[in-house]
Amino acid sequence: MENYILPPEPLTNEAIAARLTTGARNGLANGSVKKKNLVYLELNGCSGNIISLLNGANPDFEYMIGSMVNLVYSNSLMAAEGEKAIERLMNALDEDYILAVEGAVALRDKGLYNIIGTWKGKPLTGLEAAKMLGEKASHILAVGACATHGGVSAARPNPSQSVGLQDVLPDKNMIKLPGCPVHPDWFLGTLAHILLYGDPDTDNLGRPLMFYSTLIHDRCPRRPFFDRGIFAEKLGDKTCLFKLGCRGPVTRTDCPTRQWNGHVNWPIGDDTPCIGCAQFGFPDAMAPFISYDTTRVVKDE
Amino acid sequence: MQNIRMLQQQVNSLINQARHDIYSISATSDPTAKQVKLQRIWDALTSIQFLNDLLAAHAASSISAANDRQPLNTMPVGQPISPTSANPAVAVPNQTFTIQDLANYDGKNGRPAYVAVGGVVYDVTNNRAWAAATHFGLVSGRDYTQEFASCHAGQQSILATLPVVGRLV
Ligand code: SF4
Repeated sequence: MENYILPPEPLTNEAIAARLTTGARNGLANGSVKKKNLVYLELNGCSGNIISLLNGANPDFEYMIGSMVNLVYSNSLMAAEGEKAIERLMNALDEDYILAVEGAVALRDKGLYNIIGTWKGKPLTGLEAAKMLGEKASHILAVGACATHGGVSAARPNPSQSVGLQDVLPDKNMIKLPGCPVHPDWFLGTLAHILLYGDPDTDNLGRPLMFYSTLIHDRCPRRPFFDRGIFAEKLGDKTCLFKLGCRGPVTRTDCPTRQWNGHVNWPIGDDTPCIGCAQFGFPDAMAPFISYDTTRVVKDE
Repeated sequence: MQNIRMLQQQVNSLINQARHDIYSISATSDPTAKQVKLQRIWDALTSIQFLNDLLAAHAASSISAANDRQPLNTMPVGQPISPTSANPAVAVPNQTFTIQDLANYDGKNGRPAYVAVGGVVYDVTNNRAWAAATHFGLVSGRDYTQEFASCHAGQQSILATLPVVGRLV
């Protein structure tokens, strides 16, 4: 990424988008960019990330499976079921593949708290699948809070002894995409970067800098209220949500500019504080999500 | 009082900006970008120094106003405002807190949020990492010497930016 494009080349958004798309199209046409296999494992979690992925736009999910990858296994989205589905998972091991994992790895009782299917009559645990597929993958993406650091699945008291993916694959390089759920752009953008240019630059926690480098607080449209000490007292107020417990000042994502649901709005834009869902340690470290009794005086507290 | 709060917040946001610039400088290899950031840090330091002097003047005038005998704007003898004087050690106000006193400053119901580290009590009421007087699962009004040492080893600079309110006894 050393070749900077400088004026007099046009630098408008349209020109940049055009350069990127022609680059990608040419790469696809001349064979330098190849479709790769993608294995998408769902372990101990809520499948929220794959639902979020289906909400992607430009590119959308259809484009992903049509032009970017061969989705060889996805528990939620594939047609095959039962042992037939697991057979496809096993066959994937023979070829090169990118592994995406959402959900935490449950360690308790040798992983029996999270069974993802049966193989040759025996239960296949998430723990076994994560280790087996993680060892051979060309790239690993830990998708969502649970896969990156345990997330909601590992919240106290963590009955299934869930951990993040890195804990069971300590020597493997993996790109971490925290978020509950992950924004479809963060996943699709990282995937596209891998296909077009290789691994994206990441910070010391393994998060791609292109999506996770800026504090929400530093791009928040309500920042002028924070700097002047003007704080909301209840949900729906249009000022800074800091005193209600906003975690924007400790969370790094591009939510304020990218926004959600087809880029239309985001929590703070809808007058509710950021709960820090993309911060490591979520949810326990980000609790309480809302507090009403910091600036307002409650009589019988 | 409001004025002092505002000055303090300006200082804090300048400090944050400078920190951010330092991080960006360490991450970039583009010499032009570096130059711009370095200049901005220099400017920030100049502003901080100015605001610091202003705050000291405020403090001095409020002391003399309280004494009511000295004319306003007189500096305490022996402490002239000088832009070149070395950083004095952080002056810890005389207020003392027991651990029970400290527990009252929990940031609830309009009360300020204080925490102690290494025997010094700091005000985190408006600290951006302490939204709703909580910080990564910690509530305010307690002593966090150990927690600070384990999570922010080698980051004493964090403490230097917090307003000091007294000593833990
Ligand atoms: S609403 Fe949250 S992110 Fe925005 S300025 Fe206030 S504290 Fe920062």
